[in-house]
Amino acid sequence: MIRTENLTKVYRMGEVEVQALRDVNLEIQDGEFIAIAGPSGSGKSTLLNMIGCLDKPTSGAVFIDDIDTGKLSENKLAEIRREKIGFIFQQFNLIHTLNALENVALPMFFAGVGRETRLKRAEELLAKVGLGDRVDHKPSELSGGEQQRMAIARALSNDPEIIIGDEPTGNVDTEAGNAIMDLLEGLNREGRTIIVVTHDAEIAARAGRTKRMRDGKVLD
Amino acid sequence: MRDEFLMAYRSIKERKGRSILTVLGIAVGIAAIVSLMSVGYGMEEAITGELTKMADMISVIPGEISGHGGYVEKGGFTDRDVNDLQRIWGIKDISAMVYGAAEVEYRNKRLPIFVLGGDTKELGGFYVEPVGLKEGRWLRENDYKGCVIGDRVANDFFDEVIHVNDKLIINGDKFIVVGIFEKASTLYAADVDPHIFLTLRISQDVLQTEEIKYIMVRVYDIDEAEEIAEEIEETINDNHGLDDFANAMTMGSALEQIGTVFNIIRVVLVCIAAIALVVASIGIMNTMLMSVMERTHEIGVMKAIGAKNRDVLSLFLLETSVVSLLGGVAGCGLGWGMAILISFVVEMASGIEIAAIPKPGVFLGGIAVAMIVGVLSGFYPARKASKMSPVEAVRYG
Repeated sequence: MIRTENLTKVYRMGEVEVQALRDVNLEIQDGEFIAIAGPSGSGKSTLLNMIGCLDKPTSGAVFIDDIDTGKLSENKLAEIRREKIGFIFQQFNLIHTLNALENVALPMFFAGVGRETRLKRAEELLAKVGLGDRVDHKPSELSGGEQQRMAIARALSNDPEIIIGDEPTGNVDTEAGNAIMDLLEGLNREGRTIIVVTHDAEIAARAGRTKRMRDGKVLD
Repeated sequence: MRDEFLMAYRSIKERKGRSILTVLGIAVGIAAIVSLMSVGYGMEEAITGELTKMADMISVIPGEISGHGGYVEKGGFTDRDVNDLQRIWGIKDISAMVYGAAEVEYRNKRLPIFVLGGDTKELGGFYVEPVGLKEGRWLRENDYKGCVIGDRVANDFFDEVIHVNDKLIINGDKFIVVGIFEKASTLYAADVDPHIFLTLRISQDVLQTEEIKYIMVRVYDIDEAEEIAEEIEETINDNHGLDDFANAMTMGSALEQIGTVFNIIRVVLVCIAAIALVVASIGIMNTMLMSVMERTHEIGVMKAIGAKNRDVLSLFLLETSVVSLLGGVAGCGLGWGMAILISFVVEMASGIEIAAIPKPGVFLGGIAVAMIVGVLSGFYPARKASKMSPVEAVRYG
């Protein structure tokens, strides 16, 4: 279970303080598919970064399975990101010097999985997202939809319980977007917790629950 | 490890142009060390190697060699000095020599040339045996009007080449060339090539001096050379009533002195090379910093998908190691090429033959230095990369 407690994040830009999150209290159950919707600047990506252990709160806390992530060392946080969480970004964020197979195998590489096991699993994951025939392709040789599917395969690399998507369909056309949502729904059926940030109402409608945000606050 | 190398390779390949420049930067630094050291060893070998062959020689000069390598001449030896030396036990040959500059004329061209005179037999032993004659014969005691000339006197000094039986005018007296030396090897080049050789008596006449400027002594037993040298100094000093009139130097002590000089030369060469390396290391640091900046986003992504600081640090360090290794190896190749080129240029310019010596230690040292410098200069950028906040890094670019 993921729980936030009075989660607050303040960014300081020179003299100006920007309150990105204000006292956010949110509970996400294991196996839930939740969409966080809201206009840009509402703080949804910041919330996602906090839940995803990419950033630390200014005050308040994020609990993942009752562990206060704010109190963990950088190495521990890296471990959680690696083992428990799979990230999908709007910009795909693939490593352009590596091919599809290597990109997908990368989180396993950091987890110390042996080369053979790694490549075999990467191949299976690429087949699962429909890119079985694209293993040798570099990201730049693939369409936006295909790149996002590669990113999903990468997110599944270490078999995480939580998948976090920051506008995962934001950079692809409708058809590719639907395919991505199909994949995410499939992953949710497998028992994974899916947290997706979107400003697209249609995408949000496909989630089991939607939370709306405005000005750094979660609306009831 | 294979994958780490693969990633380093990909990343180096991705930035091919800049990687090549960095490799080149290191290579030039290492090449400077390797070439200078190889030529240095070659120079040392060329000189000490031949000196070792003459280990039974003691050279006696009237004067003092100061600690700083300077030489203070104190006049000349007399016939009595030479005669007294013959009584010292253990001496095989003694050759008294006179030298000085004389005005030499050949076919209406006049030049100042160094004239060297000595006992013909001994002088022949010192120079004719190792160098050899190209034309004619060596001097005889009764060669009152005969002279033997070095290769450069014959071929380079005058407008026309001098042959045996040609006439030279030395300080106003006519001489006939009876023999011409071969071009001498490195060690003898300075002694033989630019000189004119006469008998002792005639050279004293020509140079208008009674003094002997130089005595060359050969001993039977090399192990006794130092002792004999001391005895020579004492004998001559007694004759002149001075404590430090004569300076007898064995080839052994000459070798030691040369060794000291070469150590100094080597330190200077290493300092020059070190400057080149500092420049190279700034280059590496700059390249790696740029690489880190450029890949901020990539580093962020890696951290987001679970890379620890340590993983990022080792990836970047491996990358600089690979670049440095390539630079080191390329530097050794380049350095060896430069060493051969330097030897060639020195030989062309001065006629002194120096064969650069490839020492495995120099090459291994070169590669090791490249790696050390590379990793040290890559460490700061790599650490900077590893410390980046993932969220800021992902957002970058």
